[in-house]
Amino acid sequence: MTTLLELKDVVVGYGRIEALHGLSFSVEEGEIVSLIGANGAGKTTTMKAISGLLNLSKGSITFDGDDISKVKAHVRVARGISQAPEGRGIFPGMTVLENLDMGTYGRKDRTGVKEDLERVFTLFPRLQERRTQAGGTMSGGEQQMLAIGRALMGRPRLLLLDEPSMGLAPQFIKQIFRIITEINEQGTTILLVEQNANQALARAHRAYVLETGTITHSGTGRELLSDTAIKEAYLGVA
Amino acid sequence: MSEQTPVRTTRAVQLTESREALGGRKQFLGGWRRRWNRMARWQQWLFLIIVLAAVYYLPVANPWLITTEPGNDFPIACFQMAVYALVAVGLNVVVGFAGLLDLGYIAFFAIGSYTAAFFTSPDSSLIHIPYLWTLPLALGIAMLFGVALGLPTLRLRGDYLAIVTLGFGEIIRILATIIPAARGQVGFKEVGHPPGTASDGQPIFSVSNGVPWYWLAVTVIIVILLLVGNLERSRVGRAWIAIREDEDAAEIMGVPTFKFKLWAFAIGAGVGGLSGALFAGQVGFVNNQKFDVATSMLFVAAVVLGGSGNKVGAILGGAIVAYIPLRFTAIADYKYLIFGIILIVLMIFRPQGLVAAKAHLLTYSRLALDKVSEFRAARVASEQEKAAAAEAAKGVPNE
Repeated sequence: MTTLLELKDVVVGYGRIEALHGLSFSVEEGEIVSLIGANGAGKTTTMKAISGLLNLSKGSITFDGDDISKVKAHVRVARGISQAPEGRGIFPGMTVLENLDMGTYGRKDRTGVKEDLERVFTLFPRLQERRTQAGGTMSGGEQQMLAIGRALMGRPRLLLLDEPSMGLAPQFIKQIFRIITEINEQGTTILLVEQNANQALARAHRAYVLETGTITHSGTGRELLSDTAIKEAYLGVA
Repeated sequence: MSEQTPVRTTRAVQLTESREALGGRKQFLGGWRRRWNRMARWQQWLFLIIVLAAVYYLPVANPWLITTEPGNDFPIACFQMAVYALVAVGLNVVVGFAGLLDLGYIAFFAIGSYTAAFFTSPDSSLIHIPYLWTLPLALGIAMLFGVALGLPTLRLRGDYLAIVTLGFGEIIRILATIIPAARGQVGFKEVGHPPGTASDGQPIFSVSNGVPWYWLAVTVIIVILLLVGNLERSRVGRAWIAIREDEDAAEIMGVPTFKFKLWAFAIGAGVGGLSGALFAGQVGFVNNQKFDVATSMLFVAAVVLGGSGNKVGAILGGAIVAYIPLRFTAIADYKYLIFGIILIVLMIFRPQGLVAAKAHLLTYSRLALDKVSEFRAARVASEQEKAAAAEAAKGVPNE
């Protein structure tokens, strides 16, 4: 396996407040890697740093062997990093189809768009039913599906999922995680950020625990699931 | 094309309906849109031609009740309405399409006015060029100023951008006052006009004759509308709408948001400059008194009143904002109060403006829908092929 994404001593701050203090971790090609942590641990900041919405103060991000620390966010999309942002971040006034098509905006060649649309509709049949509906009028779960589907339309090598289970009903959460595994099995590497540690660890090949801007634990998903300290802190098991 | 129209129209109607569910408000002018979408192409063209003819005929007809006379000359009032409409079309690109609140739009209008004055007035020592050339020149110079303002400020968002543009509007006005070359309140007399002399020896485009000026302005509006309309339907337009809806999301879809915001700003500025040059030509005089912040707010009010994000709405909003003080001269002094009240009432009962932003990507969604039906057809065909192949495979051993 080759390393697809590598963060080295990444420091990111909002003004004077430092949110990530020298974060280092890596994602191998073909993996699902979960990043779990409590509120304010820096999960979304990490995602934004990878997708390019936030600039690094120090450190470097390498994608597929190239240093992309200085590359603009919209260019990173073309390189193969797509993100389904936290809080879904769909375009509320656009229809489902238009949203999905915005996902292809960064693509240089338009061949295979049809196949990708078909793939997204196969993964999320609900989106096909709702294809002419305005994104903002759909339920939270459907919007989450749309956000993931839209990210897939960019044909990413690395898919960044920021809290895909946030605010969803339990049956939706299960469904979303099942689909995440399915997407991964079709060949897309996935970096997943979650508060829902149980599911995130169970589905992940490897995982990292993020606490106040640094990595405190790492290991395979199973190892972390059985770690007592993590059980206490994140899984609500005493 | 004509056979496809019914199919397309039903789709368009469905899309509009689904989108109107988002607005959630009652139909007002929405019924018109539905009717418009149901019309065949030729009916739409016929309708447009009739409307255009009526628009061009307006100042000559000088209709009773609508006329602004005896208080104000009606053709000149029409011209001013057209200028405001053009301003609103330009500002609508910035505010309506890209969602950037520009409170200093008057600055570009001023830049356009001064461009016309500098290059045509005998009071200016610069080289003199024919007036009509100053129209594209004003557009270009205002665009440059738009880029100059946009480069450092478009990294700001929302309120911050509004404050910076407000400051820019004031800077231009104050520069016009303190720079000696801009001649402050004395200003520039005898700003140029298009060529042509009427039979009585007077120029066709005289200060007192509003009709030709109005026709010129309407023609410019039509040209700008065609250009802006094409942009709106293109990749650029989609990028603008995505930026307006969610800038971060647009960026991570691969939209170079900064570049497209700058484009919106520059195009808006250019149209502002163009309208300024038109205005300066008709009035024939430019000084530092017309370019205050209050007028800038009036421009924004025109866009919001008409329906932010809709070209037709912008024209309507601009025309109304110019028309009311001209028609009702008795209340002209209270125009800000009146527009303030109108806007408050409007925001309560019809927050999307008189003409709501249309189902924006409609043209585009039609394409997307076609794509989907195309690939479905292809899938059905391939399934049929497979079935046929299976049939054939079964058939062979039987023989």
